[in-house]
Amino acid sequence: MKIVGITACIAGIAHTYMAAANLKKFAKKENCEIKIETQGAMGIENELTQAEIDEADVVIFAVDTTVQNEERFARKKILEVGTSKVVKDGKTTIEDAIKLAKGE
Amino acid sequence: MNDNISEFISEKNIVLNLRALNQSDAIQKLAVILKENGYVDDAVAFQRDVLEREKASTTGIGNELAIPHGKSAHVIQTTMMFARNEEGIEWNSLDGSKVKNIFLMAVSPEDKGNEHLRMLATLSGELMDDDFVEAIKKADSKENILKILQKRGNER
Repeated sequence: MKIVGITACIAGIAHTYMAAANLKKFAKKENCEIKIETQGAMGIENELTQAEIDEADVVIFAVDTTVQNEERFARKKILEVGTSKVVKDGKTTIEDAIKLAKGE
Repeated sequence: MNDNISEFISEKNIVLNLRALNQSDAIQKLAVILKENGYVDDAVAFQRDVLEREKASTTGIGNELAIPHGKSAHVIQTTMMFARNEEGIEWNSLDGSKVKNIFLMAVSPEDKGNEHLRMLATLSGELMDDDFVEAIKKADSKENILKILQKRGNER
């Protein structure tokens, strides 16, 4: 299972990076490959390539604001959640993403 | 975080016996310390900016931790503080827990993409690591808090 995602919060200082860390933590536990692009106060980092997006089984937007360059994700299965939810319970977010990927 | 963490957070910015009555009182007391240490130019205005951010959504991330933060024009230099309150404080935490451990982040709007923001981002990520959080919660001296922060920095 390959997951890609974007994290972005309003201030771009803390939740963007907490959400990214929690998604990676729980994806690892489920043996999923994951790459997260952070859109925070330091700008876009760990940017997803179009190839990585195309290969992904599912996309997670953990965002409290608009996603930059969203057109890259056209026709992808996208799970959208707020950053606080991912910080509180990253496990459920990853499980939901896997379900979405499998069409459950 | 990196080798400069000791310049970024010193023992001056760590308080282990905070006696705040509530969230607003905690941020006020820490804002006063930041003012004394020369990181903000107006403690009251900085406190207001942090509470404004808090209104948007809670920074009580669970596990007795909160990370109030404010991007404020009253911040002279981006920094952070660590404080442990003697009693748990109501913070509308994501898991309902009362907050004892507070990382207050003070960010200057002038800062864009520099090492200070990098350190705050790295710390934020570390807070998702249960071992790191346990170590912070158990640390009983300023020196130990600094050691934990520095050790993590060097591993990256």
